[in-house]
Amino acid sequence: MLNTHEPRIVHVDLNSCFATVAQQAYRTLRGKPVVVAAYETPGAIILAPSIEAKRFGIKTGMSVQDAQLLCPRIIVRQPDVGMVRDVHIKFQSICQDYSPDVRPKSIDEFVIDFTSMKHVGLRELVRISRDIKKRLRQDVGEWMRCNVGIATNRFLAKVAAGLHKPDGLDVITHVNLLNVLGAITLLDLPGINVRYHARLNTHGIFTPLDFYHASMMTLKRGVFQSIVGYHWYLRLRGWEVDAVDFQRKTYGQQYALGKKTNDRRELSRILLKLCEKMGRRLRRKGYVSHGIHIGCVETNGTYWHKGRKSHQPLYTTQDLFNEAQYVLNERPPEPVVSQISVHCYDIEKPIGSQSTLFDMENKQARVSKALDKINDRYGEFTITPALMMNMEKLVLDRIAFGRGGLPGEVQG
Amino acid sequence: MRIRTNELVKVLTVYDPDQGRTIPHRIKWQNTVHTIRTISYYHRERRGQSIFHIYHVNDGTCDFRILCDSESLSWKLEEVIDGID
Repeated sequence: MLNTHEPRIVHVDLNSCFATVAQQAYRTLRGKPVVVAAYETPGAIILAPSIEAKRFGIKTGMSVQDAQLLCPRIIVRQPDVGMVRDVHIKFQSICQDYSPDVRPKSIDEFVIDFTSMKHVGLRELVRISRDIKKRLRQDVGEWMRCNVGIATNRFLAKVAAGLHKPDGLDVITHVNLLNVLGAITLLDLPGINVRYHARLNTHGIFTPLDFYHASMMTLKRGVFQSIVGYHWYLRLRGWEVDAVDFQRKTYGQQYALGKKTNDRRELSRILLKLCEKMGRRLRRKGYVSHGIHIGCVETNGTYWHKGRKSHQPLYTTQDLFNEAQYVLNERPPEPVVSQISVHCYDIEKPIGSQSTLFDMENKQARVSKALDKINDRYGEFTITPALMMNMEKLVLDRIAFGRGGLPGEVQG
Repeated sequence: MRIRTNELVKVLTVYDPDQGRTIPHRIKWQNTVHTIRTISYYHRERRGQSIFHIYHVNDGTCDFRILCDSESLSWKLEEVIDGID
């Protein structure tokens, strides 16, 4: 049941994207161990280490202080969000010159699908891949590098792209598939995290080859106990199961507090700013929401969260904030909060609401639209609720992981 | 060493019709004229309806991040890095 067709999926992935972009812009950082972290403080989490920093064992997700133990002369930078988005757009434009079907998977990776272009063979795909690498250096910057993987499905193309970092170009076909799987670990497979890893281990699966040789029933009924097992069975054999575009179901914002607190007023101020950012995105796409969810990561490691459905559609920042505040008030005053998130769910396009007696809802919606127009014209947070005064530098513009971080889904 | 600043600076620019863009040529900062050797990265950012042209340039020793406000046509120096850790 192995897919023996010619590969037509190309996965391209920028190397250490945030750090490489910083090195592209600042020549004095090139060749040095650089990490891009959420903040430049010791407790901040590293988003991307440069290739030089990786040689010291520094990884994404480590704290800055841990990285400084491994490499005392490490250079720490915050992400330049505008520049990374610009690189994404330029890189996408290069990829679109080769196929009409280019899907961004995150801010730094694309899938180029050549399935509809029957005349493009494997040799041509390898030539195109080399061309993309060359044009990335010419059109975006000479320090930029990307990994390219070619295979019959998105999963194996991503595996191929990760084989020879940095600047690799690898092809996985039915001929070399088992050799490739034999040379990597389960955690090298995209989508296998420590929990899936443990689950596979309990069923006697310790290597990608064991995973490949496991029967469909073992995966479906035993390991994953759902259709997910069947999908893994197909994925590992080169069949496409991931060419699905999921519809957006929520909008949300989150913020890791620089100064951890359980002060209700401070949390309310942060919550309002998050609701303003979330509301701007919700309204920009023309949605209303019918539910709010709040999550708080606490300093003792616990996670408090609660959701609330609303009978009235939530549209204005004030509507969203009122509901969010209502939910937050149900949280016990202890322990201290280190991270807060707000999501609105049950979203839909409004079909035209019934007018209330005094038409207050429509009036507020019109005011909200007018405020958005002013902020569109003069920049974010030109007009804000009074509670948000002196909060300009709080809750910075960020790029989310995955598809949420794409330029069309600007967080700020 | 990195210096973050936010000061208006004198910038001498050249318009290149071949590339169709304006290229900063010299920056005067703290009474020193820095001749730009390379433009490491250029991009535009929209803030409200204003467009900012952001140049990361290098004079052979230091990196400069300079920004041109297309509405006021003013130039601002945002950051200088000299490469000495």
